[in-house]
Amino acid sequence: MLDGQIADKRAPGSHQQHPRASEPLLVLDDISKEFPGVRALAGVSFDLRRGEVHAVCGENGAGKSTLMKIISGIYAPNGGRMIYKGAERRFSSTLEAEAAGIAIIHQELNLVPHLSVAENIYLAREPRRGFLVDRRKLRADAKRCLDRLGVDIDPDRMVRGLSVAQSQMVEIAKALSLEAEVLIMDEPTSSLTEQETRLLFDVIHDLKAAGVGIVYISHRLDEMAEIVDRVTVLRDGRHVATSDFAATSIDEIVTRMVGRSLEEKFPERTSKPTVKVILSVRGLARKGVFSDVSFDLRRGEILGFAGLMGAGRTEVARAVFGADPIDAGRIVLEGRELAIASPRDAIAAGIAYLSEDRKAQGLALKMPVDANLTLANLEAVSNVFGLIDFAGHEEVARRYVDLLNVRTPSIKQPVRLLSGGNQQKIIIGKWLFRESRLLLFDEPTRGIDVGAKLAIYRIMDELAAQGIGVILISSELPEILGMTDRVAVFHKGRITGVLETAATDQEEIMRYASGFGRTGQLR
Amino acid sequence: MSVTTIAGEKAGRLTDRQKEIIQKFAALGSLFALVVIFSLTNNAFLSVGNGMTVALQVTSIALLGIGATCVIITGGIDLSVGSVLALAGVVAALCVKELGLPVWGGMLIGILTGSACGLANGILVTRMRLPPFIATLGMMLIARGVALQLTGARAVSGLGESFGVLGNGALFRVVTIGEDGFPTVVFPGIPYPVVLMVAIALAVSFMLNRSILGRHIYAVGSNVDAARLSGVDVARTVNFTYVLSGTLAGLTGCVLMSRLVTAQPNEGVMYELDAIASAVIGGTSLIGGVGSISGTAIGAFVIGILRNGLNMNGVSAFTQQIIIGLVILLTVWIDQLRNRR
Repeated sequence: MLDGQIADKRAPGSHQQHPRASEPLLVLDDISKEFPGVRALAGVSFDLRRGEVHAVCGENGAGKSTLMKIISGIYAPNGGRMIYKGAERRFSSTLEAEAAGIAIIHQELNLVPHLSVAENIYLAREPRRGFLVDRRKLRADAKRCLDRLGVDIDPDRMVRGLSVAQSQMVEIAKALSLEAEVLIMDEPTSSLTEQETRLLFDVIHDLKAAGVGIVYISHRLDEMAEIVDRVTVLRDGRHVATSDFAATSIDEIVTRMVGRSLEEKFPERTSKPTVKVILSVRGLARKGVFSDVSFDLRRGEILGFAGLMGAGRTEVARAVFGADPIDAGRIVLEGRELAIASPRDAIAAGIAYLSEDRKAQGLALKMPVDANLTLANLEAVSNVFGLIDFAGHEEVARRYVDLLNVRTPSIKQPVRLLSGGNQQKIIIGKWLFRESRLLLFDEPTRGIDVGAKLAIYRIMDELAAQGIGVILISSELPEILGMTDRVAVFHKGRITGVLETAATDQEEIMRYASGFGRTGQLR
Repeated sequence: MSVTTIAGEKAGRLTDRQKEIIQKFAALGSLFALVVIFSLTNNAFLSVGNGMTVALQVTSIALLGIGATCVIITGGIDLSVGSVLALAGVVAALCVKELGLPVWGGMLIGILTGSACGLANGILVTRMRLPPFIATLGMMLIARGVALQLTGARAVSGLGESFGVLGNGALFRVVTIGEDGFPTVVFPGIPYPVVLMVAIALAVSFMLNRSILGRHIYAVGSNVDAARLSGVDVARTVNFTYVLSGTLAGLTGCVLMSRLVTAQPNEGVMYELDAIASAVIGGTSLIGGVGSISGTAIGAFVIGILRNGLNMNGVSAFTQQIIIGLVILLTVWIDQLRNRR
């Protein structure tokens, strides 16, 4: 069966490779992985040849990262085989995988902030002289790795003080230092500048020539043409297709990723913006973070916040919610000027913030569904003595589980066992039960599968139609374009433009996000 | 929808709820096993008299353990209770002896001393943002030092019989006077400390399970950021648990000193570790968010019965420490296994 599949995949591509060289370096056969409540991978097969860059594409939650974590020994699969260099292998830790020659560059940075660059690159593999670390060799080796990447970072610097891009380059240097035969790159360019990306691509070309197999994950389909040989698309934890990149158009890849046309990705908007302003923010400022932020949110409207990472979108939302202090500015909600010093004040005024980091900031993961749903409004299900009325409490939980169509075996299920989409619904339910008047959604669909995304979008649309204020912060421009009525674009802590969504496009938003505005040109 | 399976519902796998029940029964079962073993090895073990002795010995661990449980559920730790109970007992005794206050007044001030220490811990943790380990370590040294200073490191005695009632009295004690004029104890009664322990365990358990405050305590321990962003007053909630722990330490101090009718500034050394151990044996997670009073009560009894039974079997105090240490390691290891996927 395995042979058949590979032969099948090879057929459309006309690679003229020598039989030895075309023997796959790494083969994954029918891999499955389940987490409590979610099937992350269902029978995915994948192969990697020596000297090729094999891109893995898919939406958030498609299973890319899970697959990479299985290859690199972080997760153990529930089913399927992994064949590496002709032998069946199963790694029980990254250390084991690294020893076998498989290295991963993580999307989220995995460096130790209080150690130097050199110490991080050679962490747990320090060159020794007797019992001591050979500091001179450590430094020299690290310098060589960094030079190979062409970056100018002092190996003695503390990682704590590095920028995100510099940290990313250190991660890459660390992976190179392993002399790996399989290198997994998970969104390596997401925080790199154009020039740094160039340097990385040069290194990738060198590695290919040296016979290293590279698995490349990226959302930036446009930049792939330069380095990618084959592309595999995953959707909802399943393998959709593998094909030669050169013979596949970007449109085809996107269609495979989405599995439906873009119109079906977003629900039809039923709410219509009115002229009545719900929220009015004027001259909001926090020193060194954002300044002079002013915008209005109208009844029935969904307002988008777009911009690059670190442009101040989340920070403004957190400030409106009272989670961070402000130095200046006015916040007027439904005609009342608010003095907000803490989340408690904001919640009392009817404002809710749905954090971009659900697990770290949104949910009490060990607590059950019902306790999470009522956490922000326990007074409503309690008597005057502060004692919780359990019957009423459970009834409320059941009501919101039904209303939002939460998939859970029971309302007593700990929320950590629910899927991302259902967790997000619990958070939305929590704020609806609090009778919030304004919901600030920060990356609400990150890491959620496509079907659940649609459900979240429908809920947002319904909220707007009911007159509840909805602000959508998103890094995914299709989401901004598909769901909002207007979009405020942030650049370096300022709003550079508020655009009518129907009359704009990705390019214009990117122009504003890069600080060039209407007349300027990108780059 | 791609969410196709709900784990835990499949055959062969247990839901969290089932696991929790099994864990409870496992702890109770081991408690029961201990009782059976000790009754077989020693005839005097399973008697009303020894039962009351064990219950009395357990009270101090359990009272401190209840406070420790609440603190640990929020993700904190209280190392100061052993010293705080000494200070509280000393203060109560000095109020009675030197200031001539009635016993109840002296003890009330003693208990409030404990509350004040707890409040100080809470403020150090929530306002000055010290790690709980450090804040309560400092308080542990300070409270002990003050207790030694106040007494000149000497025991305070000559407190009068009424000072001993709380620690030595009993409810429903039945004594008959025999024909020879000597009293015979028909039923030793339920010692006041045991009554107190049961009442407080029930009250705190009720608070944790039924009240808004209890819900907030679990929420803070489960995820402090999520709790804050849900409008929970985190500082007040955390503060409350330290005040509760300090107050219970104060009460324990008064009970212990009353039992001896003497205030010892050196009483209660290392009791905080027994308290933490009872909570941990009872399934409270040091990471926070998980724990129950019933579990802690079982933990306290496991420690108390082990000590009592080993004593009656002539096992040396050193060996006892080794065994209790092993029990702690074993229970927490089992807990870890349970939490692994």
